[in-house]
Amino acid sequence: MTTQRAVTVLLEDRLITFNRAVGLIRRRNLPVRSIAVGPTVTPGISRLTIMIQSDEATADRAVQQLQKVVGVRQAVAFPARDGVTRELALVKVRATADRYGELLDVVQLYHASVVDDNPDATIVELTGSEAFVLSCIRALERFEILEVARSGAVALEAGLTEAGAHAPATI
Amino acid sequence: MAEPLTGAQILCRALLEEGVELLFGYPGGAIMPFYHALPEYPGLRHVLVRHEQAAAHAADGYARASGQPGVCVATSGPGATNLVTGIATAHMDNTPLVAITGQVPRAMIGRDAFQETDIIGITQPITKHSRLVEDVEELADAVHEAFAVAREGRPGPVLLDVPKDVQNQKAEWGGGAEGRNAPPFRGSAAPPQLQFALVEAARLIGRAERPLIMAGHGIILSDAYAELRELAERTGIPVITTLLGISAFPESHPLHLGMPGMHGEVHVNRAIQQADLIIGIGLRFDDRVTGNLAAFARGAKVIHIELDASEIGKNVPVTVGLVGDARAILGALLEAVERRHCDAWRAEIESFVRPRVESFKGGLSPEGILVALEEATAGRCTIVSDVGQHQMWVAKLFRYQRPNTHITSGGLGTMGFAVPAAMGVALARPNEPVWAISGDGGFQMNMQEIATMVQERIPVKMAIFNNGYLGMVRQWQQFFHGRRYSATPIWSPDYVRFAEAYGIPGFRVERADQVDGVVRAALAHDGPALVEFLIEQEANVFPMIPPGASLSEPIESEAVTA
Repeated sequence: MTTQRAVTVLLEDRLITFNRAVGLIRRRNLPVRSIAVGPTVTPGISRLTIMIQSDEATADRAVQQLQKVVGVRQAVAFPARDGVTRELALVKVRATADRYGELLDVVQLYHASVVDDNPDATIVELTGSEAFVLSCIRALERFEILEVARSGAVALEAGLTEAGAHAPATI
Repeated sequence: MAEPLTGAQILCRALLEEGVELLFGYPGGAIMPFYHALPEYPGLRHVLVRHEQAAAHAADGYARASGQPGVCVATSGPGATNLVTGIATAHMDNTPLVAITGQVPRAMIGRDAFQETDIIGITQPITKHSRLVEDVEELADAVHEAFAVAREGRPGPVLLDVPKDVQNQKAEWGGGAEGRNAPPFRGSAAPPQLQFALVEAARLIGRAERPLIMAGHGIILSDAYAELRELAERTGIPVITTLLGISAFPESHPLHLGMPGMHGEVHVNRAIQQADLIIGIGLRFDDRVTGNLAAFARGAKVIHIELDASEIGKNVPVTVGLVGDARAILGALLEAVERRHCDAWRAEIESFVRPRVESFKGGLSPEGILVALEEATAGRCTIVSDVGQHQMWVAKLFRYQRPNTHITSGGLGTMGFAVPAAMGVALARPNEPVWAISGDGGFQMNMQEIATMVQERIPVKMAIFNNGYLGMVRQWQQFFHGRRYSATPIWSPDYVRFAEAYGIPGFRVERADQVDGVVRAALAHDGPALVEFLIEQEANVFPMIPPGASLSEPIESEAVTA
């Protein structure tokens, strides 16, 4: 069944390894929605999160192919609904002085926060699922949105998982 | 304290440690320190090719024939890019290959320096692994890692890019077994339920009424000939060999059926379509084998034995997947498989056999040529084919009896492969004749390598099936493009005089009665020899499954053409 799935990869934090892993995803023509990469607490190891819209077999094959890449330590896939998925967005908006209070209301409603404020533009930080982030951005569209930066999703499978059991807890 | 060595010397020593005896290469600016060191290591024989593509194909041929990784060397930039087709060929056919390229000095990388290309980036999709060596201290490990990755699991090509200043950098020799700390390569993890799967596979094999074995390249790569034969003989299940599986099973064996797929025999494809069980071993159900996937073997359960877990279920739905080395899995499977026979099914397949349609109007047929070759060598030769019509004739009309005696570019279908690859095969097998069989198109893609053969005394026997056309493309034009022979007529030089120019014997065969004498004369000559066979110009390869059609829809003769 086609659904939103997270493919998470622990890999050496070198551009060439990242390049290989992402190149494989491109080459195999996977339906990618977002890619996020960042360090882990283990020195030299990064976590790559690829959100794809696919059936289980496609995701499993992607995992098997990723496991063959030199520099990849671990790859797993799980349906997004079986875990927690979050992304972060920074939205730079311009609200006229008379509507500034209205902007703060939207920010509060979405549990977002103002992280930079200057007379010409305000930067709002928001975190949540992809749907939540999109809904909040839509709410902010009533003001003038100048720029949006989204991180792409990161995800963890809920509960004690194969990945958690095999990898050091610190990763 | 050991004496400090240059990176180039370390590279040579590490290659020797890996058991390398032979390199195919071409020098140039960024690889000159390596070539400077090379004469100090007489254990490394270097074969100077005439084009780097040939170095990669020759190393590929050497690896396929010897089972050991082939090594090719080129300079940066154009030298490296010329390797690309050869590396891609090795990648598609899982050949262990180590390609070493020079690179501009580290300080110049990324500045569009003279003869700089990002060969790591270019070859990433066509290598199993690639690595830019950033410091001499990691060089020996990088070499050992390259060979380990190229050999292990499902073999493949690895590229090492070594900047010129790293080749000149000095370091103490840190190689040797104790100095190796290259991380072990991990293949895809095998599913843990292997034992259960083996039992289930044996049960399916015991119960099937119309089972088939499809044997692929994996049998050859894992040296599983005896196990395959035992499985077939114990169960009576007929054996199909894919293009790269040819010679994995003796063709004189009563259980041998033939080649499947686009140019497979009608009875083979029909057997596939009627089978209730297909045991695929060491193959990937390539589209040239399956035809239209939706209509492939619809009544069959599939047991897929394959080293690479990511291949299982990739193209064809699999009932039981057995992940592992073909030889090991077959060995384990044999413990569970009971003796049985398939006499009724074999008789049924026998009834599918069609008489071969003789499409050759002239007297000089590929079949006659290949039979003469077989008789003149008593079957003791290795045949390296190129790509096109002749490739299919060579695959189907020579009766391969000995393991791994048919070498061809299957996955990538690289024209120009045969002549340079045969050089590597000949160097790996000095005690038997090696024939490079090409069409007139493919031969002209790498015929410059005759100079290499002469200089290096590599006794390849070359046969050209000359029909004046790029025959396979012309055949497709005839059947699917309204006979518009666009850009397929191809002029050839006078090959006899061409051979003379290189100082080797050249022969032209125009009639069937000349074939045997010329083949024997070429074999008797102690060195490379060239034979041109002028075959009928518009002969076709039959049967043929049209692209996109199912295995049940073969074109069997000219009469079907509109």
